[in-house]
Amino acid sequence: MQSNQYSVKVFETTIKDEEEFKKFFDTHYALFKDHLILIQGDMSDDIKKYLKSKKLYYLQNINLPKGRSRKALEKEFKRLEIESAITKQMAEAEIKKLSSRLQNNLTVLDSMIRSGREINIDGDLLLLNRVNSGATISTTGNLIITQVVEGAIRCNGSFMMLTASPKANIVFNGVEVDNSLLEDRLNRVELKNNEIIITPVLKKDINWAL
Amino acid sequence: MGIVIAVISGKGGVGKTTATANLGLGIALNGKKCVVVDFDIGQRNLDMILGLENRVVYDMVQVMEGEANLKQALIKSKVSPNLYFLAASQTKDKSVLDSKKVEKLISDLKEDFEFVILDSPAGIESGFEHTIEFADAAIIVVNPEVSSIRDADRAIGILDSKSAKVKKGEEVLKWLIINRIVADMVEGGEMLRSDDILEILNIKLIGKIPEDKGVIEASNQGKPIILDKKSIAGQAYARIAGRLCGKKIDMKNVEISDSGLFKKIVGIFK
Repeated sequence: MQSNQYSVKVFETTIKDEEEFKKFFDTHYALFKDHLILIQGDMSDDIKKYLKSKKLYYLQNINLPKGRSRKALEKEFKRLEIESAITKQMAEAEIKKLSSRLQNNLTVLDSMIRSGREINIDGDLLLLNRVNSGATISTTGNLIITQVVEGAIRCNGSFMMLTASPKANIVFNGVEVDNSLLEDRLNRVELKNNEIIITPVLKKDINWAL
Repeated sequence: MGIVIAVISGKGGVGKTTATANLGLGIALNGKKCVVVDFDIGQRNLDMILGLENRVVYDMVQVMEGEANLKQALIKSKVSPNLYFLAASQTKDKSVLDSKKVEKLISDLKEDFEFVILDSPAGIESGFEHTIEFADAAIIVVNPEVSSIRDADRAIGILDSKSAKVKKGEEVLKWLIINRIVADMVEGGEMLRSDDILEILNIKLIGKIPEDKGVIEASNQGKPIILDKKSIAGQAYARIAGRLCGKKIDMKNVEISDSGLFKKIVGIFK
C-alpha cells in the first residue's frame, strides 16, 4: 500500500446566522481559502452552494483528531501503557481461570514445537511457545496455546484457547475450525450443544477520536 | 582441541557445500588451521568446488576402514596452507558409516585442527545423523522460502534430539545463514524477510548472503567466491568466517537494494 500523509488547516465553526457566515467568508476569503471548513451542526443547501461557489471544501459533523501538545501526548502514552498492562493482567486472569478448568493430567510445555514433531497428550496441555509448520499436537483433553500455530492441532477436549493462526490446521472434536474466525488475540473455542463457539476474549475497541 | 561445526540444511540445493567451501577457506585465510570434510558419501561435490578433484587419492571411508591413514588422505589446498580437505567416497553409499568409526575420525581431526567443518548430506537420513552426532556446533543454511525453512526446522529438531552433546545435557550451538537473498524481492514482499525466518527458527543469525551470479561460475572453476574481493556473496562469506574466528563484525543489511538510487537516476534520463 502506498499512501501520503500531510497536515491541513481546519476552520471549525457552527452556523448560527447564515448571512453573518457568508459575510465573514466574503471578507476573510483570502485567509481561509486553503483551509478545510468543518461545520458542526446543521447547514442548509444554500450554504453548501455558497461554499462550492467559493471553491471551499467542507466537512460536516466530524470529530477530527486534534493536534496535541507533548505533555498531552506523554499523558496518552502513559494511559496506553497502563491499558496494555491491564489487558495483560486480564489475559493472565483469563488463562488462570481456564487453567483451573484444566484438570485431567495437565502438561505444561514451553519449548518450541518444531517441524516433524508429533506430540500426543493424554489429558490437558498448556503450551507457551509456537507450533511450527509440519508439527502436530493432539490432546484428548483441553488445550491452551499462547503463541502462533502453523502446524496441525487435534483437540478433543471441551475447550481450547488459541491466538490468530491463519496457517494452522485445527480440528476440534473431529470438526475443522475455520481459522479466519480466530482474531488477533486469545480466542476461546468451546463446544456448546454440539456447536463450536469461538469467542475472542479481551475484546477492546480502539477509539481514535478523542 | 578444535571445534567441530556441521553445515546442515534439511532441504537440498540451498548452498551447503558452497557455504562449507567458502567458510573453510575464509577461516584458513584468517590464519586458523581448518579442515573441511565431505560427509555426503556417494555424492561427492566439495572437491570440485574447492578445485581439488584431481588430487583425491584416498577418501574418508578408506581412512575409517583403516585402508589409509589420515595424513595420506588429507589434501592441502593450493590457496591457503591452513586449509585441508578430506574427501567423501564416491563409490560407496551412506550405509558404510558407523557411529564409532565416525567418532574416532572426528576426534583425530580435532587433535590437529582448530576448525573441523563437516559438509552434511541433504535430507535427514543416516548420513545426516552421523554428521551432526559429534558436532559441537551446527550452521544451518536456508533460502528465504517456506519449504527450505520448514525442512531446516525439522533438521534442527533432529539435531536437538540426536546430538551426542545434547544427550550429555550440553547444548549444541546453532547458527543460521540465510543464503541467496534478493534485495528487490524482499523489498517487494515476494521473499521472506529475515526477521520472519528468525522468528520461526528461533536460532542465532550469523550471516546473510545475497544472491550472486558469480557463485555458479566460481564453483565451476573450483575457485570459491570468497577469493573474489568484489563479489557481494564473497564479502558476505568473508564476514561470516571472521565472526566464526571471533571477530566482531557488524551485520550488513543485504535486504536493501543499494542500486535503488542509481536506478532512479537512470530512470530520469530514459
